[in-house]
Amino acid sequence: MPQVPITMPQLGESMAEATIVSIKVKPGEKVSADQEIIEVETDKAVMGVTTPCAGEVAKIDAEVKGTYAVGAVLGYIEASEADAARFQKRAPQPPKGDVAKEIPGRETESDKAVKTQNGSGSHFQVDEADVMSMSAGSGRADQGAGLPVPASAKGAGYLSPRVRARMAELQLTQADLASIAGTGSAGRVTVKDLESFLSGIEGQPAEKPSAIRTGVADAMRRSWTRPLATVGLSVCLDPVLDDRKKRDPKPGPALYALRALALAIAEQPNAAARLIGGKAIRSESIDIGVAVEAGEGIMVPVIRNADKTSLADLTSRYTELVELARRRRISAEMTTGGIASVSNFGTFGLDWGTPIPLPDQTLLLGLGAGKKAPTWSEEKQQFIPATQAELTLSFDHRSLDGGGAGRLLKRVVELLASPAQL
Amino acid sequence: MSVTYLEAIREAQARLLREDERVFIYGQDIAGKFGGAFKATKGLAEQFPGRVLNTPISEDAMVGTAIGAAMEGMRPIVEMQFADFSSIALNQILNNAGTHYYRTSVPVPITVRLPSGGTKGSGPFHSQSMEGLYSHYPGLVVVTPATVEDAYTMLIDAVQIDDPVVYCEHKYLYYHLKAEALPDDKLPIGKARIVRPGRDLSIVTYSAMVHEALGVANELSPDGWEVEVVDLRSVKPLDTDTVLASVARTGKLLCVGEAFPWGGVTAEVVARVASEGFHLLDAAPARVNAKDTPIPYHPNLWSEHRPNKSSIAAKARQILAE
Amino acid sequence: MLETAERGASSSTKAPPHERYLEAFRWMLTARVLEEKLASLYRGGMIVGGVYLGRGQEAISAACGMFLDKSKGDLFAPLIRDQAGRSAFGEPLLDVVRTYLGSAKGPMRGRDGNIHRGRPREGQLAMISHLGAMISVLVGRLMAKRMRGEKGFVGLTTIGEGGMQTGATHEGMNIAAVEQVPLVVVATNNHYAYSTPNDREFACAALVDRAKAYGYEGATVDGTDLAACLDVIGGAVKRARAGRPPQLVVAEILRLAGHGEHDDASYVAPEIKKESFAQDALQRAEKLILDEGLLGREGLQQMRAQIAAEVDAAVATAQQEDAPHASEEDWSALSTRELADQFA
Repeated sequence: MPQVPITMPQLGESMAEATIVSIKVKPGEKVSADQEIIEVETDKAVMGVTTPCAGEVAKIDAEVKGTYAVGAVLGYIEASEADAARFQKRAPQPPKGDVAKEIPGRETESDKAVKTQNGSGSHFQVDEADVMSMSAGSGRADQGAGLPVPASAKGAGYLSPRVRARMAELQLTQADLASIAGTGSAGRVTVKDLESFLSGIEGQPAEKPSAIRTGVADAMRRSWTRPLATVGLSVCLDPVLDDRKKRDPKPGPALYALRALALAIAEQPNAAARLIGGKAIRSESIDIGVAVEAGEGIMVPVIRNADKTSLADLTSRYTELVELARRRRISAEMTTGGIASVSNFGTFGLDWGTPIPLPDQTLLLGLGAGKKAPTWSEEKQQFIPATQAELTLSFDHRSLDGGGAGRLLKRVVELLASPAQL
Repeated sequence: MSVTYLEAIREAQARLLREDERVFIYGQDIAGKFGGAFKATKGLAEQFPGRVLNTPISEDAMVGTAIGAAMEGMRPIVEMQFADFSSIALNQILNNAGTHYYRTSVPVPITVRLPSGGTKGSGPFHSQSMEGLYSHYPGLVVVTPATVEDAYTMLIDAVQIDDPVVYCEHKYLYYHLKAEALPDDKLPIGKARIVRPGRDLSIVTYSAMVHEALGVANELSPDGWEVEVVDLRSVKPLDTDTVLASVARTGKLLCVGEAFPWGGVTAEVVARVASEGFHLLDAAPARVNAKDTPIPYHPNLWSEHRPNKSSIAAKARQILAE
Repeated sequence: MLETAERGASSSTKAPPHERYLEAFRWMLTARVLEEKLASLYRGGMIVGGVYLGRGQEAISAACGMFLDKSKGDLFAPLIRDQAGRSAFGEPLLDVVRTYLGSAKGPMRGRDGNIHRGRPREGQLAMISHLGAMISVLVGRLMAKRMRGEKGFVGLTTIGEGGMQTGATHEGMNIAAVEQVPLVVVATNNHYAYSTPNDREFACAALVDRAKAYGYEGATVDGTDLAACLDVIGGAVKRARAGRPPQLVVAEILRLAGHGEHDDASYVAPEIKKESFAQDALQRAEKLILDEGLLGREGLQQMRAQIAAEVDAAVATAQQEDAPHASEEDWSALSTRELADQFA
C-alpha cells in the first residue's frame, strides 16, 4: 500500500518550526482522517497535528522534544490507493520553512540528496532509505537552513551615503528626519526629500538650544533606540508623609522612593542589569540618579551606594547635589555610573508619565503628584481619605519583562508602606 | 554647408598637413585616389605628395615606424583600418610608445587613429571599442570624440601633444553626425563637457553613446526627470572633477560605454566616484556596457549586445526610482 | 688597387688583415673586460636584475658599431649582446655601469636597467625586450631623416636567430624594404634562443636566404673572424649608405655564456662546442695579433690593463652615486604633465 507523509503543518503565519510535545499514536495503529495524532508547541501555543487521511500509521520519525521545520516529514500513513492518488495530485508544497532551497548557495547536503533521489521535490514517493535521510537530516530545524537573505539592504531606514554626509554636515540625526515621509524606494528618505524638508523649515523661528538641552536631546535619542516600556502602580503616601514629619532634615517623597528602589534592586539585582551583546551586565554598586530640573534641561546627579546609605545621609547628599546642580557645578563624574534613576514628575503637578531611562540605565522610577482621594479601607469597611500617588517604572524591555518590572515596583510600594525602616 | 564627423577628421588632417610640415599619415589603403577604407584621407595624397603613405598590412611595423619618425621630430598619424586590428600593434603602442618617455625622457608624439565601435553587420572583428584597454596602460592619452567639433579639434590637438595619443573615432558617427561648420573654438583635451544639464541623474559616457544618452534624457524628460549627460571626451586623462561636480548636482550616476563589461572606462568612473565622491551618492552607481561575448554579426543580436536607448533608459529609470 | 699598393709598400711589418683591426680588437677587449666586471658585480650581489653578456659575439658587434658615424646622422639599434658595438658607437662606460648599478645619474635613471639603456637623441635606441620591435622603429627614424632632406646616413640594427622568428621582425624587415631605407640588419646565429637549439627555431636551409625574400642584399660571415666581420659588415654599411637596398648580414657563432648570468647554459651540447663557429673570436684575434706581430704580448697586456683601469674607474664613480629615490620620482609617464591622469 502506498504511504502518505505526515508533515509539520504551517500553524501560524510567522511559524518556521515547532517542537513535538507528545505523540499520541504508534506504528500499526489505525487512524481516521483529521485525527489529532501529534501535539506540537510553537513560541505561541500548543497545537495538534492531524492525519492527512485515514489509514494505518506506518512509521513515526519525529521524536518528542525534537524541533522540526514546517513541511518536515514526521511520519507516514499507509493509505488506500484512492487517498494516495488524491495526495499525489496535490503533493505537499516544498517545505516553506526550508528557506535554504530558495537561496542559492544555501542548500544543505541533505537537500541535495533529496533532489537527486527524488527529482520532483515531492516527499511522497520516496523510499525507505530516503525517509531515513529526511528525518535525520533536513527535517530537523536545528540542522536546517539559515535566514533568508534580503534582496537589497534598502528600506525606509536606509540612508544613502549622500544623505548621511549631508546629515553629518548639518549635525542631524535620524530622529531629526522622523517627520519626513521618504519618496524613495521602500519609503527611504532621498537627498531631495531631505533638502526640501530643510528648505521647508528655513525661515521658521529658530534659536540655538542650550548645551544642556542638546545634551538631554542626545541622551534621549540614544535611549530611544531601545524597546522601552512603563508599568504603574498607586502608592499611599500617608506613611511617608507621617514619617517625614519626624525626621530632620526632612527628605522629600522622591528620596523615600529612591531609597526604596535601591533596597528593592539590592534584592533583585538582575532587574537593573544592562543587556549588551550577549551579556547582562550588573553594576558593582547600587548608585541611583535623581532628576533635577536645571535651567532648560534636566541633570541627573547620582547618589552612590544608595542601598547602603541611610535616608538621613541620602537627604544631606541630595541637598548638596541639588545646590550644585542649580549652580551648574555638577561635574561629569557626578552624573555617570548610575544604574537607575528617580524622576519626581509629581512636582510639576503631573499624575502619570512614561519618563525615559537614561541611555546607560535600564530603569527609571517616576513619582506622580500626591492627591487626597477616597480610599477603601478593609479594616474600617469604608472609604477613608488617603494621599495617593502614581508610581511608574520605565524599563528596557530587553532586560526586563512586565512581570519582573511589576515585581520590582510592588516591592518599592511595600517598602514605602514602612518608611521608618528606610 | 554642413560637415560630417568623417569630413571633420579629413579636414583636420588636411589642415595639419598644410600647417605642420612634421605631419605625415601612414596606413593601409589611405593613399592614391582610394583615400582609405572609410575615405578619411580622400584627396589628401594628391594634395600632399609623399606625406600620405600606404603601408603593407603590418600594424606592428606601421606603429613602430611612426614611433621612430616621432623620435626624429616628426608628427606621424597612423590610421588603423579598424580599431580591432590595432591588437596586432599592441606591443608597439603599449611597450614601445607607452614606455619610451618614462624610460628615456624622449617623448614619442604619435597619433594612432582607431576607427572604433560597432555598426550593423560588422561582426566580432570590425566593431571593437578598445579605449579601455589602451587606457589601462601608462604613457598614452586616449581620446573619444563624440561630436563633429571634437572630432576636428581633438585630432588637431592630439597631433600637437608631445605624447602618444590613441584617437578613437566612432565609425557609426562618420556619416550620421553633421554640424553646420567646423568649429572656431575648442575645449582642451582632458576636459569633459556637460552636454545637457540636469538635476536628477548623471549619465557619464563618451563617443557614440553620448547620443544614445541624450536620446534617453529626452525620453525621460516628459516624466519630469532631468537627466544630466556628461561627455568625457577623453577617457585618459579622465576629468574626474567634472564627473564629481555632476554627481554632486544629481546624487546619482549611470556610466555608459560601448566596450566590453569587465573593467574599462565605466568601471573606472564608478570606482573614482565611489571612492572620491561616496558622500555625493544618493543611489548605488551603475553601469551599462556591451555584453561579455564577442560582438555578434546579425543586427538583431548586435543591437542588443551594445548598450542602446532602451537598455540605458531601463537602467536610468531603475536608478531614478531609488 | 690602392689597398694592394699600400700593402706592398709596408714590407717590413706585416699589414693587418683589416686597416681597423687593432681598433676593433680594442672594442672587443673593452666589452670583454667590462662584461667580466659586470658578471663579477652580479655574483657579488651588486646588480639587481639581469646581466646579459656578449661573450663570443664581440667581433660581430664591434664591426656593427665601428662603421657607424654619429656625425653623419647614423643610428644604431643594438640588442642584448652588443657591448662591443655600443662602445664602438660611442657609448661611455659610465652609461653602462650607471645603468647596471642603478645610479640615478644613468641615462635611464633607475627607470629601466641593464641592456635596455639607450640615448635616442644621440642615435642609440633603447631596446625593449620584445624582439624585432626595434627594426620598424629604426625604419621610421631613417624615413623621417629622408623626409627632412638628410642624406648619407645609415641605420644598423642587430637581431639573433631567435628574434628573427617573430612577427615584428618580419613586419619590420619587410617595411624597411618597402620604404627602401638605408638599413643594415646584422643577424647573429649563436645557435640557442635561450635554451632552444636551431632545429626548434627555424626550418629554412639558411637564414640569409630570407634576404632575397625580403628584397635585401644578403651576406654571411664567420662571426669568430674579426677581419671577415669588419669586411662584410663594413661593406654592408657602405652599400646601404650608397643607396643600395637594405642589407642582411647573417653571422654564425656559438654563444659563449648563458642567456644571462643567471643561466649556466648546461643545455649546450658538448659536440657543438667543437665546431669551428664555437671558437672565441677574442682569442682568435689575439692569436692573430701575436702571430702577425701587430702587437707584442706586452702591448696586449698594457691594453688590457688600461681598459681594466677605465672600467674600474667607471664602476667606482657609479658606486658612489645616489640610487633613485621613490620620494623624488614624479611618477608621470607623460611628458605633458597636465595630461597625466590623477589618481586619488
